[in-house]
Amino acid sequence: MTIAPDKNSTELVVPEGHVKLVIDGVEVVAPKGELLIRTAERLGTVIPRFCDHPLLEPAGACRQCLVEVEMGGRPMPKPQASCTMTVADGMVVKTQLTSPVADKAQQGVMELLLINHPLDCPICDKGGECPLQNQAIAHGRSDSRFHEHKRTFPKPINISTQVLLDRERCVLCQRCTRFSAQIAGDPFIELLERGAQQQIGVAKEKPFQSYFSGNTIQICPVGALTSAAYRFRARPFDLVSTPSVCEHCSSGCAERTDWRRGKVQRKLAGDDPQVNEEWICDKGRFAFRYATADDRITRPMVRDAETGELRESSWTEALQVAAAGLLAARDANGVGVLTGGRLTVEDAYAYSKFARIALHTNDIDFRARPHSAEELEFLSGTTVFTNPDNGVTFQGIESAPAALLVAFEPEEEAPIVFLRLRKSARKGTTKVFHLGQFTTPAVEKTFGTLLACVPGAEANALNALPDHASDVVELLGKPGAVILVGERAAEIPGAFTAVARLAERTGAKVAWIPRRAGERGALAVGATPNLLPGGRHVANTAARTEVERTWGVEEGSLPANPGRDTTGILEAAANGQLSGLVVGGVDPFDLPDPALAEKALAQAGFVVSLELRPSAVTAHADVVLPIAPAVEKSGSYLNWEGRRREFGTTLEGTGALPDCRVLDTLAVEMDADLFTQTPAAAAADLARLGEGAPSGSSLNVAAPLQSPAGAGKAVLATWHRLIGNGSLQVDEPHLAGTARPVVAKVAEATAQQFGLETGGYVTVSTERGAITLPVETDDLPEGVIWLPTNSGDVTVRATLGAGHGSIVSVSGGKS
Amino acid sequence: MFESLKGFGVTFGTMFKKVVTEEYPEVKKVTAPRFHGRHQLNRHPDGLEKCVGCELCAWACPADAIFVEGGDNTEEARYSPGERYGMDYQINYLRCIGCGLCIEACPTRSLTMTNEYELADDNRQDLIFTKEDLLAPLLPGMEQPPHPMRLGNNETDYYVNGPQLAKEAGQ
Amino acid sequence: MVNPLTPVLTKRWTEPRSWTIETYERTGGYTALPKALKAHPDQLIQQCKDSGLRGRGGAGFPTGMKWGFIPQGDGKPHYLVINADEGEPGTCKDIPLMMADPHSLIEGVIITSYAIRANFAAIYVRGEVLHCIRRLNAAVKDAYAKGYLGKDILGSGFDLDVVIHAGAGAYICGEETALLDSLEGRRGQPRLKPPFPATSGLYASPTVVNNVETIASVPFIVNGGADWFREMGRDRSPGPKIYSLSGHVTNPGQYEAPMGTTLRQLLDMAGGMKDGIPLKFWTPGGSSTPLFTAEHLDVPLDFEGAAEAGSMLGTTALQIFNETVSVPWAVMKWTEFYKHESCGKCTPCREGTYWLVQILQRMVAGNGTASDIDTLLDVCDNILGRSFCALGDGAVSPITSGIKYFKDEFLALCDQNSKVLAGANA
Repeated sequence: MTIAPDKNSTELVVPEGHVKLVIDGVEVVAPKGELLIRTAERLGTVIPRFCDHPLLEPAGACRQCLVEVEMGGRPMPKPQASCTMTVADGMVVKTQLTSPVADKAQQGVMELLLINHPLDCPICDKGGECPLQNQAIAHGRSDSRFHEHKRTFPKPINISTQVLLDRERCVLCQRCTRFSAQIAGDPFIELLERGAQQQIGVAKEKPFQSYFSGNTIQICPVGALTSAAYRFRARPFDLVSTPSVCEHCSSGCAERTDWRRGKVQRKLAGDDPQVNEEWICDKGRFAFRYATADDRITRPMVRDAETGELRESSWTEALQVAAAGLLAARDANGVGVLTGGRLTVEDAYAYSKFARIALHTNDIDFRARPHSAEELEFLSGTTVFTNPDNGVTFQGIESAPAALLVAFEPEEEAPIVFLRLRKSARKGTTKVFHLGQFTTPAVEKTFGTLLACVPGAEANALNALPDHASDVVELLGKPGAVILVGERAAEIPGAFTAVARLAERTGAKVAWIPRRAGERGALAVGATPNLLPGGRHVANTAARTEVERTWGVEEGSLPANPGRDTTGILEAAANGQLSGLVVGGVDPFDLPDPALAEKALAQAGFVVSLELRPSAVTAHADVVLPIAPAVEKSGSYLNWEGRRREFGTTLEGTGALPDCRVLDTLAVEMDADLFTQTPAAAAADLARLGEGAPSGSSLNVAAPLQSPAGAGKAVLATWHRLIGNGSLQVDEPHLAGTARPVVAKVAEATAQQFGLETGGYVTVSTERGAITLPVETDDLPEGVIWLPTNSGDVTVRATLGAGHGSIVSVSGGKS
Repeated sequence: MFESLKGFGVTFGTMFKKVVTEEYPEVKKVTAPRFHGRHQLNRHPDGLEKCVGCELCAWACPADAIFVEGGDNTEEARYSPGERYGMDYQINYLRCIGCGLCIEACPTRSLTMTNEYELADDNRQDLIFTKEDLLAPLLPGMEQPPHPMRLGNNETDYYVNGPQLAKEAGQ
Repeated sequence: MVNPLTPVLTKRWTEPRSWTIETYERTGGYTALPKALKAHPDQLIQQCKDSGLRGRGGAGFPTGMKWGFIPQGDGKPHYLVINADEGEPGTCKDIPLMMADPHSLIEGVIITSYAIRANFAAIYVRGEVLHCIRRLNAAVKDAYAKGYLGKDILGSGFDLDVVIHAGAGAYICGEETALLDSLEGRRGQPRLKPPFPATSGLYASPTVVNNVETIASVPFIVNGGADWFREMGRDRSPGPKIYSLSGHVTNPGQYEAPMGTTLRQLLDMAGGMKDGIPLKFWTPGGSSTPLFTAEHLDVPLDFEGAAEAGSMLGTTALQIFNETVSVPWAVMKWTEFYKHESCGKCTPCREGTYWLVQILQRMVAGNGTASDIDTLLDVCDNILGRSFCALGDGAVSPITSGIKYFKDEFLALCDQNSKVLAGANA
């Protein structure tokens, strides 16, 4: 921190670890090690710069930030780069404001930067928001003394399907290469050649395949790096920028959404030092066109009794039909609610309240993915009560001495968590341990240690840690150590029990990091079979009464028995124990048993679907109610830390309604009042409830003994990739092109055992179906095969009906 | 009596003065060459569009009457020399004040103004002129885009040698 | 006047098969090593300081002081790196030294490594001089065979491994931090200083980077003592120096003389100007040092003398040009070299040399104007002291000094009536 100079006091107090210096005649106190350019900036003097970036290591390459420096009364012979020089006691600095030398030096560098810069600002995407352009207009010469030939390159070149490089515009500041090497750990772009021919480039047949490549576009100080998605789409002066929050993973990154004429043009990383610093992943940046997909549902639809087809209807008709159907189903065998993991807190709250007071049921579950009772016990006993004050945070990860990752693939599931892990591991602060199956890129890039085990045996491995890896346990015992658990843990019996035991033993803090943005919020508002909002257990009479009073419903009217979970709801619907379903944003192919889901949807007497685009659910729905995508509504997400990430409406007046509004009106038709007409109303209603008292959890699931897979069989390891077949990634061909290759992975020995050739194909099958894909060898345990869960043609759940830890048949060659 | 004669006198006298009434629309007056009439999007001598979709006209417009969205020329479909062309171009003549700042902003001399002043209609929609309405007609020797660059290998040939090319194309 | 001094560094060059270890040992080689190994390393550093030996790579930094900067007892490995990436135009002293007397360098390396407590030393040789690399490799092999390198050298308990590393012919890799990056296998571009190599050099460990000639002097200092060394040369620049004379002299080549010898003396040794054509201009230490003219024949060529006269001693590569050579043409050629060799890291050097070359080429082609001279000087001013490393400063030296002494020639080129370029084809 800088202490602002106080004109009245004669003597500035220099705190411990600080130095006093003079910048442009103003005395200033700055912490030791701070760069001059930052100290000056806080005094209000912006020294122009191109290569400098606060989150990257200094380079001193562009020489734009030269200032005059005097040390100990002696002026330094040359102007110094203020982006590389740290403050020192007694230093006297003169910036361009007071030093003609510095001013001349900066103008000189500016002129040199421009001699080889093309005059194509009118067609350059950066035009209008370009630091070089601004600097040239503010401080450059009005005419050029350069009458020679500019250096030219063929332009532009694709360095990935998403990122285009125009080498003529590049000022070689190395921000992109430094970002890739230092922050992302994907050094796929490098400087090539030298002198004026120096250029950024990629190796042949090694495109810029990084999950964070979009950040290089954002930090490029010129228009050298542009994105295929935004290329030529708009101009900054015609864009409206709205702060927003990413709707993809559970990190809850701050974003800036730029839009014009009712259409989102691009997303940029917002600056939030507590969460995402200044970075976002490519999915968060580029995957937004799902909201403008051609097949987006904009009108309510009702299944026509005569034709059996869905037809567009008025809201009044659709809501009446839905209310009548749901009331009938409720009074028959009851209705179950499936909410998916992508809802805002406010929307999830509306579902939770709708289930309780309109449908009189606890049959509600947000987990549209493999899940277990053990997971629910863990989440409702522990996770729901964590928040940034008492739990793990991004900044906590950065200062943790050790981080143990259990069934969690950070780069694929929560990329910003990965960046933090890498940042602190690179500084040498955090030692990262990955309990997984093979050395993934994330293990390498977090300088981590792989604790390899057979899928499903993670709990056993955790229990055995004290015996086999006492160093890990010892490190986890240090204050600040963290254990990060991924959603895959729900597929591993005993995993949560083992994690809880390890945490108890070591004192490490545990964080559950789901893959989807809405899961943590849905948990908090009780979109689960056993919880009411605020972590109150449904079986707890006092808690129930508290909620009943706040909601203004009759005492004793809330159902007291825990409801069915997702699989339970689907099974009940499939065999007629439930008469209806309300489904919001669930893709049946993400569920552990898609076949069961299909059957349930087909068998359920009455299905109401709240959806954005046609899906397997709308195909069976009796009423389809269109809802608003994230950019067309306001609300908040609870990120994995438990931090509230509020955002406003980006695109106003589109007519799309958030789920909470639709449910509120539907409830009115059913003679119940949710008081969730708007997200703000829903939030206020939720706030009145506050948080309940922790009831404690009793986790006691034994880790199963692993039995051999059997001849011709292997144990399946699988998880989702960041860029894959997700429904929010449609209409993004450029993004899809940067997905990692779809391959199966096995150990060398396993490959030999099954007669698989490197570079050949493998067929993985269950009684449901078979998948054939290329195979690679890696350092997996023997008898294990890894597949991406949902990438390209590989759809593990839909085709195989299998998951992490399942036994699958493996055979060689193309079937 | 005398007063009324005086009044007729004015009328009578005026009958022999020069008539200032414009006989529009029967007789259409020729405007001054500098008159700010309807816009036109010009073409290169081979028919490729000069517009690069830079949106500087939209930026300069004080009435927010212009909407432009750029597009990417490909080898298969080329509308202008270079990388970028104006994919969508609209001028809303309900908003346009004819100030001509857009013309000054245009870096490629693509946007100019004609002397056409008949810009009235009975509905709003038809007064939003799109690219099809604004593009200059194809002159002899011009070819309807998309087509490859006929006058050089890159956009530099078009801009640096433009006047010479235009002269040759005119011959 | 032929200098009466007994050659020091070059004394073995005329021996038959001077490069062999046998010749070296026969002529008093490897006698300093046992003495050094008996001494305490700090004594050696002190002796080097006392001798006043200054770096021979161009900057003239006191060598003993450089060794003294290495933090001792820090638990990190220490490294010695020899900068044999001789790339400065006109400079040809290190390669002949390594060709004729590689063992003097190796003995110096062993003594220096012992002094700075390094157990690994690398000699970074420019890749083009394959013959030199072969000879060094052979010499290192011989030294290992004789027990001068490897484990427990001469029973002293001191271990040292020496590696010969071939660069890829980049001028920038003569800059010490770029050399270290290149040696680590990375792109050869200068690093930020601080941290300096003395604390964070090769693989982020304390490293001494010294020139070949500097280190080759070390055994002689150990044998002869600091006082003997100080007998040669001048007070602040003592010792012998190899002067490389090239260009229009009768006998170009290496001339070893005490520091502070003048060009007039050196020309006497070299048989005077070739064909008697008078001297026009010369560089005291490669093209990165500002030009001198015939006025400067009596400037004492040591670090202070050259600096006082407005130039730098550099590598003592004296490129001598007679009246037939056009200054603008020579300056253009040098600038073309700098443009080709600019590493590209910083803007002033990368873009500036690109620009300067084009202006000079245009002027030499007879299409310049008088305002181009002002532009040249202003661009030079924008490069000098603004670039990341000293190479940018070096690139503008020939231009600014050329215009300083020979502005008329530049102006003459701008005269549209006289397109004849003196000596353009020389």
